[in-house]
Amino acid sequence: MNQMGYSFTIESRKEVSGEDLGLLKEKILQLNWGVQHPASGPMRLKVWIDGDVVVKVDPDIGYVLRLLEKLVEYRTWINAIVNVERACFMDDFGTMVGYSIAAEKIAGVEVPKKADYVRVILAEGGRIVSHLIGLGSFVGVMGVHTAMQWALIAREKFLDAFETLSGQRIATSSIVPGGVRYEPTGKFVEKMVEAVDFLEKEFIPRYEEAFIDNPTLKLRSVGVGVVTKEKAVELGMAGPPLRASGVESDIRKDYPYAAYGDFKFKVVTKSEGDCYARYLVLWEEIQESAKIIRQAIEGLPEGDYRVKFPVKLPPGEAYVNVEWARGAFGFHLVSDGGTGPYRLRMRAPSFCNLWAIPEIMKGVKLADVPVIFSSLYMCHGDIDR
Amino acid sequence: MLEEIRKIVEEEFELQAESFDTNVLLIRCSRGKLKKLMNTLKSQGFNYPHTISVVDYTPKGKGFEVNYILENLVFKKMVVVRVELSEDDLSIPTVSDVFPAFQPHERECWEMFGINFVGNPRLEVMLLPEWAEGLFPLRKSYDFKKHRKPSKEKK
Repeated sequence: MNQMGYSFTIESRKEVSGEDLGLLKEKILQLNWGVQHPASGPMRLKVWIDGDVVVKVDPDIGYVLRLLEKLVEYRTWINAIVNVERACFMDDFGTMVGYSIAAEKIAGVEVPKKADYVRVILAEGGRIVSHLIGLGSFVGVMGVHTAMQWALIAREKFLDAFETLSGQRIATSSIVPGGVRYEPTGKFVEKMVEAVDFLEKEFIPRYEEAFIDNPTLKLRSVGVGVVTKEKAVELGMAGPPLRASGVESDIRKDYPYAAYGDFKFKVVTKSEGDCYARYLVLWEEIQESAKIIRQAIEGLPEGDYRVKFPVKLPPGEAYVNVEWARGAFGFHLVSDGGTGPYRLRMRAPSFCNLWAIPEIMKGVKLADVPVIFSSLYMCHGDIDR
Repeated sequence: MLEEIRKIVEEEFELQAESFDTNVLLIRCSRGKLKKLMNTLKSQGFNYPHTISVVDYTPKGKGFEVNYILENLVFKKMVVVRVELSEDDLSIPTVSDVFPAFQPHERECWEMFGINFVGNPRLEVMLLPEWAEGLFPLRKSYDFKKHRKPSKEKK
């Protein structure tokens, strides 16, 4: 056989079928989705597929386990925030607020009003920062990385504001039991207003035009991974995925903490319960958070921002929930009268959403696995703690 | 809402209930009545499972405490169901058939504390590596220095 100047000798010709290659012997294949998948982060999904249809999914987690609940037991009451905020780097303020409120409840310490307002500003800033990554990575798993870049530009402005306050962009350690650690200066407020201005005037209109109501995006996400209202409660889902299924659950509204009782905002809910609804919940919550920040900056009271926190706390316990970016984050804090926590149990919303995956992904197409995964908006630091 | 639950718990189950916090009720339950109580709470609308929190009180001379935290999403109230276990017998019936979402939480408590949830379909290591099964790192008796890898400089 002559081809392009080379000559080949064909020894024997044989028909090759799929069975000879070992493809069809096993009907159900196991795929490893992760550990280092761009959309998955440090975790693995074991996916069993029959043709193109997912039969069973089993998450394999624990790759970023730091055992924060144990580390906290070796710290003092104030030092413990360093471990608590590392539950997730994206929204570290929410966890610090929750822990601080729990410690203050045991100590019986009342926080000045200014500290409450600054906590709200920071917690909402953290929520925006985290939701922006959530939006960007949702579009990112479908292969368009522009959204992520745009989101990161808007995120940088908020990180600038956090840097002005505390000197750090991400792990700020800025909220402690007894108030906030750094004085909210005029410069910080100015930077925060600048960031919200950029978000509302530049980012939101531009992003809305390109990535919201986008027909290609809707083709991939509408009607995919539907969770009904009853199912969402039964599976114990939390945060934006729970609200996207039509359950009106928001700790900020239900059990107002810090200064959330003073502000007007609405709880974003959707009734569809599919991936696109979860994406829209994130999108609308960013806008609500921006409104809360504006209200809080307008009404920022004068006075102290931190009160003295005792070294030793009386024995007692508290269970405090905060609405973190990913859902209700619970802190069960126990004190035995010592200088540090006796036990801290963190109720992680991502952990609850993760274990809903095996139910949601039953019978979906393989191509929908990353879309559903990223729409559940989980953080791996939060799953493993 | 919580007053009604308190009445039911005290009259039907003959258990003690006290206020834990605003909007939170603490029920002290026994091992035998746990499953029936969970079923009753679920039918009363406390159908959203939050978490299971285990506290190790062995250095204080007590055993372990298992706290089940449930929320009513309509009336926005919470319930903490507390079961005390002695150190010699760490077994408790599973509630994963009543609340399927509690199954991974029970699994985590099992690997971190060694509480045996009788009837849980899947008690395997989840967060810990496989060689660490049975170390129960969140117990107070766990000595982390014993399991620390020696650093390169100090041998």
